[in-house]
Amino acid sequence: MSKEPTLIEAHNLTVVYGRKPALWNVDFEIPGKQVIGIMGPNGSGKSTLLKSIMGVVEPTSGFTKVYDQDIDDVRDRISYVPQRQDIDWDFPASVWDVVSMGRFAQRGLFKRLNKEDQDIIAQSLDKVGMLSFSKRQISQLSGGQQQRVFLARALAQQGELFLMDEPFAGVDISTEEMIIDLLKEMKEEGKTLVIVHHDLHTAQSYFDWLVLLNTRLVASGPVSEVFNDKTLSDTYGGKLTTMSKITQVLENKEFPIRHK
Amino acid sequence: MSFGAEFIDYLNYNYTLLIVTLGTGILCLASGVVGTFTFLRKRALIGDVISHAVLPGVTIAFMLTGVKDPLYFILGALASGLVAVWVVDMVQKHSKLKPDTILALTLSVFFGVGIVLLTRIQRSGNAAQSGLDSFLFGKAASMNVLDVQLFGAIALINVVCIFIFLRGFTLLSFDEQYAKGLGFKTGWLKTFLSVLTVLTVAIGVQAVGVVLMAALLITPAAGARFLTNSIRKMLLFSGLIGAISGIVGAVISSTGTGMPTGPWVVVCLSVLAFIGILFGKEKGLIARIRLRNQNKTKINNENVLKALYKMSDDGQSSVNLNDLKKHDSLESLPVQTILNGLRKDDLLELVKGQVVLTEQGRIASREIVRKHRLWELYLSKYFQLKADHLHDDAEGIEHVITPEIERHLTQLLEYPDKDPHESEIPY
Ligand SMILES: Nc1ncnc2c1ncn2[C@@H]1O[C@H](COP(=O)(O)OP(=O)(O)OP(=O)(O)O)[C@@H](O)[C@H]1O
Ligand SMILES: [Mg+2]
Repeated sequence: MSKEPTLIEAHNLTVVYGRKPALWNVDFEIPGKQVIGIMGPNGSGKSTLLKSIMGVVEPTSGFTKVYDQDIDDVRDRISYVPQRQDIDWDFPASVWDVVSMGRFAQRGLFKRLNKEDQDIIAQSLDKVGMLSFSKRQISQLSGGQQQRVFLARALAQQGELFLMDEPFAGVDISTEEMIIDLLKEMKEEGKTLVIVHHDLHTAQSYFDWLVLLNTRLVASGPVSEVFNDKTLSDTYGGKLTTMSKITQVLENKEFPIRHK
Repeated sequence: MSFGAEFIDYLNYNYTLLIVTLGTGILCLASGVVGTFTFLRKRALIGDVISHAVLPGVTIAFMLTGVKDPLYFILGALASGLVAVWVVDMVQKHSKLKPDTILALTLSVFFGVGIVLLTRIQRSGNAAQSGLDSFLFGKAASMNVLDVQLFGAIALINVVCIFIFLRGFTLLSFDEQYAKGLGFKTGWLKTFLSVLTVLTVAIGVQAVGVVLMAALLITPAAGARFLTNSIRKMLLFSGLIGAISGIVGAVISSTGTGMPTGPWVVVCLSVLAFIGILFGKEKGLIARIRLRNQNKTKINNENVLKALYKMSDDGQSSVNLNDLKKHDSLESLPVQTILNGLRKDDLLELVKGQVVLTEQGRIASREIVRKHRLWELYLSKYFQLKADHLHDDAEGIEHVITPEIERHLTQLLEYPDKDPHESEIPY
């Protein structure tokens, strides 16, 4: 049997902000599964992991690869949905403006968006039920609507691998249902989804593969193998304190931190 | 003095005024446009840092060359301004210091060094000749044609570059991480934007001084933000606010003696920005107050209509005006004024102390009662609230329910005909 191709690989990945480690020696390989969950408590480095994969933050040591290649060689196949709370929504832009950004991946900094782009933008907005809001100023959107706009922007990129940072955070039930339907549809179209997620109850039903993080890697494997009391308490429970204590010591005392 | 000499004096005066006015206007336009991105990237304070940080560059340029050449000054200012921006970024990346601490530190260190160097030059008896002190407080009145050309050049550079790089700069300001995720060279874009900003400051600082230069960068954008929700228009308004303030400030300062241009420009900028904050179309203070008043009128109207509906058996009979005024729900409301307003809208008629709803008024009053009772029913069904808690909540919400929500509610509740208090829901 030939080895399954690797979707995402992290090799000894360490990311340190200032002196504070956000990811510590994280090492895993995700085979070509379809729906992958990344879970862990607040501040456990989930967003940092996605950002490292996207090449948005530079690792302090180690590396990541997507489709066995450097991220820069496969960027056009990847759509990224950053965490909604990370940006200031009181920016002078309309819903349409934000979703058009998804097309900049293809058009670059200077080329005008053409009719085809406009159609793709409209379709993406339609898919998340926001087409009638396209002229709306983004600060006038609810949290759920903002999340839909972010998803539409990623859809407009037309990638095959979607990296989504907490698409369910702070959305109401109807938006959550809509997003789930959309994700199912995307799965049927053969897209690969990597989702940072918070809700333990739904994890088993959503994901094929789970990555459990708490600054270090707790577990990475098929949900059926990885999702159990031990790993969960390692991720969320008592043992956490050991790691967070060490993190604090590293942050406060001037210990040398590994470098490239 | 002969008439001819006087006339030439007059022309000279006007010529100087023209130069100063034109120059200040163009400079403020240039800084307003590029400052829009400084503002949108929430880096208002960095404008202050840059304008103070150009001082050491200028003094070093003078010490090295020994001549008073604007070109050397600008190069020196550009260099030390960029170093300051770089220092801020680096310290931010590698230390735990808070951003405002870093900015304050950088500003003081650079400005301090600048002042020390300036004092040394002054001690050597060279300063007056070099005119270096004008960098502190600005000297717009001594502007010459060369300066105006320089300002024109930087305005042109800013407008053209921002026009070409609008997409990149916008993406950078809105969502830098996403921009990086798309594979754009954000580091390069940031540096480019910094160079434009620092260059503008470096060129403008001799006219208005380090202290006021930051205001030229940030204030136009702050005012423009209230006028529009589109970034293109914001750039336009920002440039216009800058240009108008520059021109008006220069003219005002020329009318009296001893009134420097820079401060007047900043006063004009602040006034315009304040006007923007007051009168902005959607975000402005007045627009918000007007909206609040409209809402209040709407609520008052609907409350009176509701009372009328209840007192007149579905709007069939007329209601005594005095009875209406005494109705519980209308206490402390200016009922007469509200009635006059409603009469103007043809919702009711006032005949001999009696109030009669028109057909339109009947429909409107029925609608508000329907919304009230639908909402009560919805609350009792979905939130298990006790019947005596429902009314107050519905009093607030009934005015907010839009036709779409109403339709949604009726469908959700399967076209009910009785509310939780067994009153009829009118359609
Ligand atoms: N730009 C930054 N500078 C300094 N520290 C940072 C930065 N970004 C993240 N951190 C820190 O790194 C740690 C990991 O952050 P990260 O955002 O990856 O966590 P997360 O798992 O996504 O958390 P959340 O569930 O709150 O989104 C946190 O302690 C955070 O405070
Ligand atoms: Mg996160």
